[in-house]
Amino acid sequence: MTTFFSFNTARPALALLGLGLAGLAGCQSNLDGPSASPGTLDFTSYVAVGNSLTSGYTDGGLFNDGQATSYPAILAQQFVKTGKGPASFVQPAFSAAKKDGSGYIKLQALNGVLAPVQPTAANNYLSEQVARTGTPLPGGDQLEAYSGPQPDNLGVPGISVLSSVSALTRGLAPYGAINPFYERLLTAAEKPSKDYVTYIGQKTPTFFTCWMGNNDVLTYASNGGVVAATNPFANLTDTMRFGIGYRAILTSISKGGTVKGAVANIPNVTSVPYFNTVTVAAVLASYKAAGLPITAIYVTARTAATTTVTAARAATATDLLTLTTQAYIAANPGVGPSPAKPIPSDYVLDPIEQTEVTARTTQLNAIIAKTAQRFKVPVVDANTFLGSVASSGIYTNGVNNTATFASGNFFGLDGVHPTPRGYAIIANEWIRVINAYYGSTVPTVNANDYRGVLFP
Amino acid sequence: MQVKSLLFAGGALLVASSGALASGFQVGLTGAKNVGMGGTGTGLYLDQASQFFNPGAFAFAPTGFQVGGNLAIPRISFRPAGGDQGQRDLQNTNVVPFSGFIGFGPKEGKWRLGLGVYTPFGSELHYAQGWEGRYSLTDINLRSVFAQATAAYAITPQLAVGAGLVMLAYGDVDLQRDVPVQAQGSTAPLHAQLTGKADRKFGYNLGLMFKPSDKLSVGLSYRSAIDAHVSSGDITLTNRPAALASSFSATKFDVTLPLPDVYSVGLGVRPTEKLLIAFDANLVGWSRYQSLDFAYTNGVLGGQAASSSKRQYQDALAFRLGGQYQFGEHFTLRAGTFYDFSAVRDGFVTPETPDADRIGITAGFTYAINSRFGIDGSFLFEDFRKRSQSQDDLISNGTADRVAGTYKTTIAVPGVQLYVKF
Repeated sequence: MTTFFSFNTARPALALLGLGLAGLAGCQSNLDGPSASPGTLDFTSYVAVGNSLTSGYTDGGLFNDGQATSYPAILAQQFVKTGKGPASFVQPAFSAAKKDGSGYIKLQALNGVLAPVQPTAANNYLSEQVARTGTPLPGGDQLEAYSGPQPDNLGVPGISVLSSVSALTRGLAPYGAINPFYERLLTAAEKPSKDYVTYIGQKTPTFFTCWMGNNDVLTYASNGGVVAATNPFANLTDTMRFGIGYRAILTSISKGGTVKGAVANIPNVTSVPYFNTVTVAAVLASYKAAGLPITAIYVTARTAATTTVTAARAATATDLLTLTTQAYIAANPGVGPSPAKPIPSDYVLDPIEQTEVTARTTQLNAIIAKTAQRFKVPVVDANTFLGSVASSGIYTNGVNNTATFASGNFFGLDGVHPTPRGYAIIANEWIRVINAYYGSTVPTVNANDYRGVLFP
Repeated sequence: MQVKSLLFAGGALLVASSGALASGFQVGLTGAKNVGMGGTGTGLYLDQASQFFNPGAFAFAPTGFQVGGNLAIPRISFRPAGGDQGQRDLQNTNVVPFSGFIGFGPKEGKWRLGLGVYTPFGSELHYAQGWEGRYSLTDINLRSVFAQATAAYAITPQLAVGAGLVMLAYGDVDLQRDVPVQAQGSTAPLHAQLTGKADRKFGYNLGLMFKPSDKLSVGLSYRSAIDAHVSSGDITLTNRPAALASSFSATKFDVTLPLPDVYSVGLGVRPTEKLLIAFDANLVGWSRYQSLDFAYTNGVLGGQAASSSKRQYQDALAFRLGGQYQFGEHFTLRAGTFYDFSAVRDGFVTPETPDADRIGITAGFTYAINSRFGIDGSFLFEDFRKRSQSQDDLISNGTADRVAGTYKTTIAVPGVQLYVKF
């Protein structure tokens, strides 16, 4: 049963025998699949509206490699296969010498333990080619300005529905002066005044996607349910302003409902690895492993749903600690084991805050569903979809991708944003919904061709 | 941060069917005369291959020596469910199953002794670079050589029994797959290669032939199961992230691959001196193969010391019909057909054995150079039914360690054999 020779070399000899085997054996069976068709859709000018998830933000940063595998970039690539796709899909990349943009988290082995490490000035940004200019903005370090044509991927990390429409904050918080990812897209004249809803209205799409609203709950949640005084967009967005803002965004990008598209709703942020990796049990276990007789850790938590008053109490399994807690404890010895020095509230999403976040998510998703119906666009139920990823993972060609930090391969190293693999899986869900609603047959992508988490 | 049960739990493993011409990864290519007649042989006593098909019939076979080989030319296509890369064609590899037998005994006597070597199981498949199922399997090469010593005795001129001692004389396996773990700065994921040699194992076969007249013969045979076992096979990992060395530390593996037993019943009818018609039915005990279990030593793979992947094969039936007609002194022509039911249940198809119900047609000839020497030729064409499984099927079966899509296989096998009658 060894291969003595290949069929190609054998063919002349067999042909000489007159057996005609080359014909019989040489033909590969064809398995016809469905052909790719846009149906009634026109993807020639596809525009994506959204936040960090849309921008391709992963591993805690926006950088060229991550942008290249954003779900809108994958969608555009698949739209091309229908014959009605965009000739080009522009994303606001950084210059080649600063390709690592804001910089991104890497896994590094520290004292034999793998840990996610943030790029900072102190560690020389992990030797990444960052595009930080050195000028601080309220929302972080300023980044190299983008100078190309207005992108087709309009995803801006950090943006919320509330911060997209300046009228909602009476023009008092010009987003172009706050958020470095938005600031770099605008001209000097636009920065003080042009809000996102106006900015996206400059495009003339033939098809759009919109995934907005995550930061209207996530900003509050990821800060442990603490409203940062310096950030005007740090609270849970109220339903009234969310509804007004969301309608304004869809009106702007759909040209008053005349352009077809699809929207996605807000996933329940409490199921992401950011809130489920550093558990109370894991912290206690690490004390035990270090030989410390500590049986309880203390957190600063809300005392009642009706008040923002907090108090120290022993943490329970229902308290969600943020991914950043481990580093905080390491940097602040003595915090945690004593009621006198509890873990601060902004590292803890206690059950009262969890209820607030999930309740608001449900309310905002109802607004999204109703608005989508009015604009006659389908909704990608990201809440249900990512909920199922969190509970049971999602298989892609023999590989289970789960919400487990790092090894699950779905979420990147910030614990919130997907990896390129995760974005490809999300792109396939968009495609499924678009195909089902519009009768198109946009092909899905092999998500395994996109990387998961990279290990040192 | 332990890298979970990732990976090897799923996987791939032993064996497939590129040379496989019967359900599962059996290779039904023993004896060119039998191949030409649809793989019948339990009820026949044509030549030395009776040792394999029915050692009882061997008592009535002429003595002699024969050796033959086949060139199995598979064409396997795969289309992933939902994916847009379209069809994946394998880097189809031709394999060369062979068989040789020698039989001794008094010309008109009551007993026979024989020896044989043959290749009843095997597979070699190389999937396209970067194909969808790379995390299940990228390459497999399973080879086995069996040897057999046979004794047969004709109790009466109508009734004979025989038995063979069967040995898995040589077997090796080379399995490769990608593992969904990737190192910083590497464009390729972790790749695992498992290679090993099978232990020598013994089995047996038994047969009985009843021949009430020259026009009719009836055979029964049984071939025992053998558990092919690889102990201390080698694990070779490439592109392993340094930080995960402790999660992927195993260097050796153990695996057992249950090979099925086979019950056969066959019939041979000779309406005239020149015409022979044969019918066989086989029941292949594939249900022994419920899971593929690897045990790792000197460490772990993906944090696990063992892995298990569901197979849940089912017993498989095959029906075979063949005939031969002798034209003049030197020439005999053969034809046959068979239908072989798959051992693999719906939703359990693995890349290493893209099994399906299949229909075969066969043809063959003998050219007798003189009364002692001759050449047998055979040709077999096998058409597998197209077989699909969806991701939902896989998830509901707990078999999501393999890939959803559609497989389609055809195989063409020319063969040639030389014989000498003593």
